Amino acid sequence: MYMANGRAGVVDLTSVEISELEIDEDSLLSGDAVSIAERLLSDIGGEGFVMGSGILTASLVPAACAGFVIGPPKDNGKRIAPLLGHAGAEFKLSGFDFLVVKGRASEPGYLWARDGMLEFVRAPEFKSLDSWGRTDKIRDSQGDKRIQVLSVGPWGDAGFDASQFVVDYWGGEDKSGLASELGRRNLMAIAFRGMGEFEVSDPEGHLKACLRIQADQIDRMGRSSGIESYDAAFAREDFKGLLHRPIACFGCPFPCRSFLKIHEDPRVMEHSHKEPGYLHYDIPALHKAFGSGMSAREATDVLIKCARAGAEPVSVLAESMRSVGNASASSIEKLLGSAHAVPRVGLDALKGGFAQSFGDAQQYMKCLGLGLCPRYWAKAGFSIEVVSECAELAIGVPLKG
Amino acid sequence: MKLNIEPLKCIGCGLCEVVCSLNRDSVLTPMTSSIILHIEDKSNYFGLVLKTKSEGLVLGRPEGTASGQQASGASGPGAKPILLREPCDFCNGETKCVKICPTKCITVVD
Repeated sequence: MYMANGRAGVVDLTSVEISELEIDEDSLLSGDAVSIAERLLSDIGGEGFVMGSGILTASLVPAACAGFVIGPPKDNGKRIAPLLGHAGAEFKLSGFDFLVVKGRASEPGYLWARDGMLEFVRAPEFKSLDSWGRTDKIRDSQGDKRIQVLSVGPWGDAGFDASQFVVDYWGGEDKSGLASELGRRNLMAIAFRGMGEFEVSDPEGHLKACLRIQADQIDRMGRSSGIESYDAAFAREDFKGLLHRPIACFGCPFPCRSFLKIHEDPRVMEHSHKEPGYLHYDIPALHKAFGSGMSAREATDVLIKCARAGAEPVSVLAESMRSVGNASASSIEKLLGSAHAVPRVGLDALKGGFAQSFGDAQQYMKCLGLGLCPRYWAKAGFSIEVVSECAELAIGVPLKG
Repeated sequence: MKLNIEPLKCIGCGLCEVVCSLNRDSVLTPMTSSIILHIEDKSNYFGLVLKTKSEGLVLGRPEGTASGQQASGASGPGAKPILLREPCDFCNGETKCVKICPTKCITVVD
């Protein structure tokens, strides 16, 4: 089977039973991983969530970095979040195309997937840690800094609607409160490490086609300066003054991620052992912070606090403005420490979010379902026709429209 | 022929890792590549480690490139220790990592 593992890991947290489910080749090659995940979710009665990857995830197609997490619909809306950075590709390389999670663990812990193996690791000490502490703990205890970790913080544990999961410390993907789906199951994180490999139908042909498409896109788009290349509102001097370096997701030639350092000189490239900054790619959150009168430094500080708490920053900033009339670092800190749920700001109000990349939900699902980053491909120009040659040479059959 | 790395041009996309394995084993995986992307997320510190026949390990770190390091032990930036990996063979002259690197941070030097 080309570009796929052909299986899903299934975890019942209540009984701590782990099993595997074969995913048929025809379904995988359809390129519609979102529909497969919805089917898997439906098969468990909608009581759980599914993590998935696309048939092109981890291929050489530009920005083939995307996986996703899908949970039960809420308020008549689909709840799906992309899984970006190196996490989507790493998840698929861990040996599973999908991960189905149901039930509730009797004590806190995390799921650990690597090399085709899946286990639930009990971690009662996680209850006292924030999302960053959980990621650190997993990487330290498993002895590998490249383990990708999707973690929730105290807001996810509490089941708050306005929670978000973070991926390797950073937030921006989860705008539907999917972190609460993990938290209410006593699942504090999901960790994965990609040690697998994928056969490709025509390796040389796939490479050549991907090089052509990449060269064409670089010619048209030029070099990225990070998030400001996707939204000119962030080309402000205070933001640029804190910029360390942009960094890409897997396979992306035009990164939207800008790392800002706020506790040390951002121009210093030597290794630092501090926790000096934040990786900005959450466009709606930055708009909200700047719209609330914050500087780039204050916005970075607030986004760090929200990420650690596992709280969705647009909702937190909106609540601060509503309840105390301003959004200062201290008001945000107070809000994050309180045990009160705040309303989640709806997806429609999140201009610049991943789900708004196309202005067309079907295109978004199609792109994500193939394993391609919607933000990159909306900018580069997505269509099945554009990716079909690269895809067919990888998977051996034409993509369906 | 040798490969030159300009670490500050690297954007950490990891394409060099998987294309290396594609050449070597006709599969996509970062596990068997001669070049490894090293990332420390929290400090945004990232660069490349290249295993060569003639210079030992070439470390392309943000603060500069250094060669002559010896591969040792079971640890390292990748899940498969670099000691167990094959050194770069320049893809029989095709240097695929050079071709696919979107920022040209890896180049060929004669």
